[in-house]
Amino acid sequence: MATGTLVRVAVPDRHRGVDEALADAIRSAQYGDMLAMHDVLDAVAEPVRRWCGPIALQDSADAVQETLVIVLRRLGELREPAALFGWVRTIAVREAIRVARHAARTVPYELDDIPAPGDPALTVEVHDVLAQLSPEHRAVLMLRDMDGFDEPTAAAVLSVPEGTVRSRLFRARQAFRRLWQADGGAR
Amino acid sequence: MTWPVGEFDELQRLRVLHAAMPGTMLAETVLRAPLSDVWSVLDDVETGFPGLVPDVRSVRVVDRDGERLRVHVRGRSGLRAPFDMVLRPGWCLMQSRFLVFGMAAVADGESTRFGYLAGLRVPGRRLIAPLLSRWQHRLARTTLRRFEDRFGGRHR
Repeated sequence: MATGTLVRVAVPDRHRGVDEALADAIRSAQYGDMLAMHDVLDAVAEPVRRWCGPIALQDSADAVQETLVIVLRRLGELREPAALFGWVRTIAVREAIRVARHAARTVPYELDDIPAPGDPALTVEVHDVLAQLSPEHRAVLMLRDMDGFDEPTAAAVLSVPEGTVRSRLFRARQAFRRLWQADGGAR
Repeated sequence: MTWPVGEFDELQRLRVLHAAMPGTMLAETVLRAPLSDVWSVLDDVETGFPGLVPDVRSVRVVDRDGERLRVHVRGRSGLRAPFDMVLRPGWCLMQSRFLVFGMAAVADGESTRFGYLAGLRVPGRRLIAPLLSRWQHRLARTTLRRFEDRFGGRHR
């Protein structure tokens, strides 16, 4: 991380397929089969944990649980099983932002208030760097730099114009880079 | 660089199913025994369930494929039903044509956080859920008391 650019962790969930067994489980779960709901949870829990983690941070357990409740309650709205992961991702990102916003202990810093490089208060953990961004900036960072989605997709997930995604990403990357380099590129 | 990952344990999984399934009840407690002790009993369904799970007189495993089981349950109330079941460490979910049961256990130091879910799978369960609440609360108290008596719990 010496150059200060973000490392893309290739986790290609967008390529994750819905096989016939999972499609069958989705259809059965839509009719109240609890073992089928269990199978759907098995399939989506891990990606939901990764989508919610960087956005909701210390409140991510709540975000994961709330996301999965919504997924099961609204599963009947999913007409095409192949669309499962994209549909769940949108719910997860929006729910993680909502939970992070409403958590009493979450007081996101304005980007301009981020401590300067060299500030001893800075820590080396990604978690702590992310905690100094707003949930919306964390979401766009996660979608673009962790999952590798393009701007139109990120804009659709977040329900914002592509220009907003670009500007949020620019500011988030700039702040992240500044914080990340604060300890002399040790990471 | 490692991105933060949200937590999701078996007790949360049970809460999710409860929230998504109208007509189910969920009760939780803390058992004063380590998860390994609790689950070593529940993992042996044929001998562990009778006496702990209300109304269950006998359980017979008729088929098993990994964590998927097909069991036949006989109850003191006259219940006789085949159940499909998922059984893995800390997690048990059973479903018959009309009933669902679930148990989740999560290690908490030397204790175990434990959850029990039960409910009906019948048309209109959302409407009859209020009528079932008294029976469900009694079932919840009975179930948790049995587990607390066996493993040690809050009321002691």
